[in-house]
Amino acid sequence: MKKTKLGEFEELVLLTVAALQRDAYGVEIKRELEDRLKERLSVGSIQSALKRMEEKGFLTSEFGEATQKRGGKRKRIYATTSHAHKVLAEMKEIRAGLWSAMPKLAYELKLI
Amino acid sequence: MIESKHIVPPQWPLKLLRFFVKKRYLEEIEGDMEELFYDNVEQVSYRKARRIYTWEMVKLLRPILIKNLEVLEKINQYAMFKNYFKISIRGLVKNPLNSFINVFGLSAAIGICVFAYAFARWTYSTDQFHEHKNEVYLITFSANRDGTAQQFGITPRPLGEMLRGDFAQIKKVCRVEDRNVVMKYKDNVFHERVRYTDPEFLEMFTFPLKWGVSKSLSDVNSIILSEEMSIKYFGDENPVGQDIIMIFAKDRTKAFKVAGVAKKFPDAHTIDFNFLINIENFRTSEPNYDFHDWNTFVSATLVQVNNSSDLKTIEHGMGKYKKFQNEAAQPDWALSSFTFEPLATLHQRAGDIRDDISHSSGDNYKTIVYLIVLALFILALACFNYINIAIATAAKRLKEIGLRKTIGATRGLVIVQFLSENLVITSFALIIGLILGYTIFIPGFEQMWHFSMEFKLNDPNLWIYLPAILVFTSIASGIYPSLYISRFQVVGILKGSVKFGQKNPVTKIFLCMQLIFACIFITIASMFTLNTDYMAERSWGYNHDETLYANVPDYASYEELHALMAQDPEVLSISGSTHHLGKSNTTAVLHFPDRELEVDQLSVDAKYFETMGLQLKEGRSFNDHEGSDKHAVVVNELLVKNMSRLLSGGKNAVGQHFTIDSTQYEVIGVTKDFHSYSFAKKIKPTIFRVADKADYRYLSMKVRPGSEVKAFRKLQAKWAQLFPQIPFEGAHQEDTWVGYFEANRIYGIVWRVFTFIAVSLASLGLYGLITLNVAGRVKEFSIRKILGAGIQSIAASITNQYTILFVIALILGAPAGYVLTKLLFEYSFPYHMPVGISCSIIAMVILILILFTTVFTQVRKVSKANPVDGLKVE
Repeated sequence: MKKTKLGEFEELVLLTVAALQRDAYGVEIKRELEDRLKERLSVGSIQSALKRMEEKGFLTSEFGEATQKRGGKRKRIYATTSHAHKVLAEMKEIRAGLWSAMPKLAYELKLI
Repeated sequence: MIESKHIVPPQWPLKLLRFFVKKRYLEEIEGDMEELFYDNVEQVSYRKARRIYTWEMVKLLRPILIKNLEVLEKINQYAMFKNYFKISIRGLVKNPLNSFINVFGLSAAIGICVFAYAFARWTYSTDQFHEHKNEVYLITFSANRDGTAQQFGITPRPLGEMLRGDFAQIKKVCRVEDRNVVMKYKDNVFHERVRYTDPEFLEMFTFPLKWGVSKSLSDVNSIILSEEMSIKYFGDENPVGQDIIMIFAKDRTKAFKVAGVAKKFPDAHTIDFNFLINIENFRTSEPNYDFHDWNTFVSATLVQVNNSSDLKTIEHGMGKYKKFQNEAAQPDWALSSFTFEPLATLHQRAGDIRDDISHSSGDNYKTIVYLIVLALFILALACFNYINIAIATAAKRLKEIGLRKTIGATRGLVIVQFLSENLVITSFALIIGLILGYTIFIPGFEQMWHFSMEFKLNDPNLWIYLPAILVFTSIASGIYPSLYISRFQVVGILKGSVKFGQKNPVTKIFLCMQLIFACIFITIASMFTLNTDYMAERSWGYNHDETLYANVPDYASYEELHALMAQDPEVLSISGSTHHLGKSNTTAVLHFPDRELEVDQLSVDAKYFETMGLQLKEGRSFNDHEGSDKHAVVVNELLVKNMSRLLSGGKNAVGQHFTIDSTQYEVIGVTKDFHSYSFAKKIKPTIFRVADKADYRYLSMKVRPGSEVKAFRKLQAKWAQLFPQIPFEGAHQEDTWVGYFEANRIYGIVWRVFTFIAVSLASLGLYGLITLNVAGRVKEFSIRKILGAGIQSIAASITNQYTILFVIALILGAPAGYVLTKLLFEYSFPYHMPVGISCSIIAMVILILILFTTVFTQVRKVSKANPVDGLKVE
């Protein structure tokens, strides 16, 4: 867990990439996250998160198709690495563990 | 609705993006941005979409996406310099003492450089705020007085008017004349100096107004105030439209309407005003003021021309004025030529122009030279420290250098490494030095002299100057150590056969020079300190302790005041005079058959010598009879000395004759020399004449010792009783030189500060070297201790190394200090304490004390240390 260093926002972006699969490129990731988070995000924040995670080895990328709307410029499609999956699973586990610990706590608190 | 083909994203943010963002990300991001833009156009307005697009572009400029860092990383040297930087920071942290010595020394030196810069900038900016500084000229003339041609800043009264009429090339003319008046507003009454001038004054000089209009000066009933005066009389309110009353003489007053208030003058100026009124007011204030009299002078006449090439024509055309002047005026004022002094450089030249309206800033230019020399001295001291420590600690870096060379570093690269390390240290020093200069040196100096250098950090020249210092200092201090250290061969270093650092002769030479500098500084500073006390005790040549004086407007008031004060038993003697020692005098030219002498002249009454305690050496003083001794003069010794070459018959000065303004005078007495003004001014040949009673302007009195304060209070009280309308003006005679003693005190402080810095730098250097030396000999001392060496023998073995060095430094430093002190004092002060060896002795004692203290701290450390620990090192 120590060396992964995945920020909260980065984790969200990473999960979005994993969920979108072949559609995971900048605008689509932004749209999906905006829908789910119900807030506006800047391209800069998404892009820097993507690039950082690529450097850390959570993501790989390759060029995809170009559309006319994009002025003929190609998309970059992101894909999660197996390392990312491992880390995400780990994070989920830790969270789940913590969640499962919570009701007990709440119950005990009520007794007082 | 805009047609779809015209719907495009704005172009400039795209250029911004292309410029800043890494190339490999460009295509994708550009595409994303465009896609988003067209999405937005469908949802919101075109303009809003463009706005969003632009804003998003700006937000894309994040460190991870920006390219320049990437470019740097690609250069091999980037990693190398990063490593150098890291190593220098580690070095700084690892040896806090050495770092402190280096950084402290360099920052003090840079602080002084910043201070010197601020002072020079301030001096050079003097009077440069005048818009027409290159078009406005002061008219000066040369006259032959005392056998030599001298330049005068005053001009014959009619000149201004004539110039205005005669030359089309002259755009504007203004005459300037100053007078003392009494100013009254409601209950506030003060003595003030008023400047009479032409309305063009405010157009030729750039003195913007805070309130009012400058044109109003053409109205004879208007007055323009400086900001300072406006606050003095009216507080913070806008006084425009208020009436202020000027009392020219007892029976002549006039009310002026305030028409304007000038903004605060920049501090670096030499010409200013308190009150400005139209020169036509002389018709009211002095009914017999003759504007057409060639024989009298105004303080200044200034002209403004379109083209400086016109000056030649004008100068040529002014030839006829010479004739007017020389026909009308007394022969003493026969002038030989007119010259023009541009306003831009007037402040530099003012020292050479007599009776000039601008104050000279010549002393400031002298100070700049001193400051530059001082700054260089201190910088040298700091650099020597750096070099010495770098060489002494080089042994610790040998392995590193050997390794670097082995993996391919050339000698050049090692030099670059050491220089860049130096740059890092100097940069720290630069920042601290700037802070030191900005928060301590400059404000401290400003506070002492009560002025502001208007030093601002956003001065563009400063940001050229500072990097220049940075580069100069880092190269000056770093070049020798880097050359020295990089010289060694790898094999030798790694084998351990190279031993150096401790016994480098250059280190000794530098240390020796530091000590010599310190010795010089201490000598000069102690001379300044001792001189201040010496000058306070020095005789003024007359009795200044028990005398008081008061200004009187005319003879009638003198008589009234005299009558009241004479009843007081504490008052021993009262006299009246036109001029007064330390306050005023006039000049006269004595004509001898074959040459002339220019002298200071004071017109006094018979009792003046007794009252002021002037000592007669020969002859007698004036007789106290009405109308007697009209053609007699009393002279001072210096004049007798100057005259002795001209004396016709006999050696005796008394009885000699000469003429002034074609009247013959006889010398009846000789006084001992005395200082009319402060010790900063040379004694001048002086004559006393009998004053015309109508011209009495001063009342001076001698009181019983011990009763000065009481008598002064009484004098003020009597004055208030006699002349409630006129504020009292007068003082204890000893207070006339307050400024001089204050200045002397400040010189002392400034030199002590410099000396403190220089001495602490030198002693820090010494301390650093001795500490390193002792640290390198820990084993030796431990063995000595085990074998039974006492503290004395260890102290001796540390001191011995430095004894010869010290002896040489003192042998060279003491005479150098003596000679420099003598030069400095003889150049700067006409009168000072004789430069003796006492100051050199003080310097030597202080330096020897420093050596012993430094050695003592180390000896203590060695003596307390356990020799076992010392031997375990490695």
